[in-house]
Amino acid sequence: MTTFIVRRLFWTIPVILLVILMTFGMMRQIKGNPFRTSERAIPAEIQANLERKYGLNDPWYVQYAKYVKGVATFDLGPSLVLRNRDVNDIVREHFPRSLELGGLAFLFAFVFGIAVGTLSALKANTVFDYGAMFISNVGYAVPSFLVATLLIYFLALQWDLGFPTSGWTTPESKILPVVALGLGPMAAFARLVRGTMLETMQQDYIRTAKAKGLRWRRVVGLHVLRNSLIPVVTAAGPTLGFLITGSFVIEQIFAIPGIGRYYVTAVTSRDYSVVMGLTVLLSIIVILANLFVDVLYGILDPRTRDIRT
Amino acid sequence: MVVNPREAPTPTIAGDVAPLAQGTAGAPLRQSNLWRDAWGRYVRNRAAVAAGAAFVLLLLFCVIWPFVSPYDGNKLDFSLKNEGPSLSHPFGTDNFGRDMMTRTAEGGRVSIGIGFAATIAILLAGVAYGAISGFVGGRLDNAMMRVLDTLYGLPYLPFAIIILAIFGDANFWTMVVALSVVSWFTTARIVRGQIITLKENDYVRAARAVGARWYRILGRHLLPNTLGVLIIAIFLELPGVILGEAFLSFIGLGIGAPDASWGQMANDGRTAYRTSPHIIAVPSIAIATLILSANFIADGLRDALDPRTRET
Repeated sequence: MTTFIVRRLFWTIPVILLVILMTFGMMRQIKGNPFRTSERAIPAEIQANLERKYGLNDPWYVQYAKYVKGVATFDLGPSLVLRNRDVNDIVREHFPRSLELGGLAFLFAFVFGIAVGTLSALKANTVFDYGAMFISNVGYAVPSFLVATLLIYFLALQWDLGFPTSGWTTPESKILPVVALGLGPMAAFARLVRGTMLETMQQDYIRTAKAKGLRWRRVVGLHVLRNSLIPVVTAAGPTLGFLITGSFVIEQIFAIPGIGRYYVTAVTSRDYSVVMGLTVLLSIIVILANLFVDVLYGILDPRTRDIRT
Repeated sequence: MVVNPREAPTPTIAGDVAPLAQGTAGAPLRQSNLWRDAWGRYVRNRAAVAAGAAFVLLLLFCVIWPFVSPYDGNKLDFSLKNEGPSLSHPFGTDNFGRDMMTRTAEGGRVSIGIGFAATIAILLAGVAYGAISGFVGGRLDNAMMRVLDTLYGLPYLPFAIIILAIFGDANFWTMVVALSVVSWFTTARIVRGQIITLKENDYVRAARAVGARWYRILGRHLLPNTLGVLIIAIFLELPGVILGEAFLSFIGLGIGAPDASWGQMANDGRTAYRTSPHIIAVPSIAIATLILSANFIADGLRDALDPRTRET
């Protein structure tokens, strides 16, 4: 088990290096330069000085090596547009909100998704099942910006239940964004859990457990749930990564000053180092989420330890 | 998983040595045909048929309605601003007084067009990568899969945004490229898995034994048998791409005005949602209908093409 985890951890390092290299390569392809904006004419010498200061004249591999060193020491470099700010400052200011939003939405999706899916499977082909699956299928298909708008329109405006329509400050202000972001993944989890549970319940070992006279509740808790949750864990990694890195739309609607909103601003103002730093940060989160799930998967299902290294 | 449409009636070696003999040998017998069987299973699945009908109707609406409509989807009329649904404007009008029904059809052409173009690109890239990786195997396969693992580490939307920034301009085709570049990995994995499974079949060994070249084995025996999976993949990828385009347009990075996609229309409705929620609701419901029907079609196709994995 330890060797599996250690090997999996080591494999993460080249992946991160390669991701940084890819991001780096892509960023170099973007045309335009923050110092060469048409509004501000800068003398050639200053231009050259600026480029030297930020290392823009070094060969790409030197820049890459410097950057990797920076990432390793948690220093993402200065912002190119906001002269007195570091990318680290921006991350420190905006990232916790996105992390909280994504994390809460994931928790919401995971807990309610598994609950709804389990109940649906246990009450398969009843009114509850049909209703839950209908809502899940719709919830899975409706884009999050409509969910968010409907939540604001009805809960906050029409029925006036005291939810603020924007911001990320009080606990009440966090409920609507979390639900809007988490609804789609929740529906996906519910569908997945229902499907795998129904499949598991047809297995021979479940029949054996029932035949032994085990109480049904115990069969479900001990055998069915445990075996059905493995595919859910597999899906959980990418979902967690997606929720933390993909709240762009929700942040926009609820005017939450998180990383997604800042990212779009940075792209349009050609603030390379910020875009680069944020992309690398988000990539590392996705990679770590996948790593976490792989390790968990190895614990839950020992057969996968050798294959998935 | 292993479906074998072409070779089923004829013994495998004969199929390779004497392709001309095909069809004549077993003529009197009406062989069961995989595609006909699959079609039979599909039409018995009521949810899948309803989803297929909704999908086709939505496509027809988007293609035909702009020709029939009495309105021009880009014509501004400020006297009709933000009107709710009425008899003359069944979907209402938007914040520039444009007819939402016509605009939804025109936006659908853009959204679905981008969706299909990107899906085709995803399938092409996925098949090429997956087939090479699975067919060659060994170290190359290993290396190619590691690269894929790395690509999975890139976050979806930021990655697409960077690619759009590289182009410097968001239009129909740059959107197609950006969305397909960030979404082809899963198809590549599926195809690779299929090829590896199929490679071990007796008819492939037999073909190899009689000296068939690699391109013949790949083109005649392996790729045709991945067709079922690829057809399902179309309906699995399409929703993701259309949603991705909608998200990008919604945060203001989509293709430029006045041409609209559904995401762009939803973005138009964002500012006025308090007074006229229909502007954001109409295109969103169109997106939801498309995604919902595509999901059900994919489920139906999976059951129809591969009865062994039928869900309970």
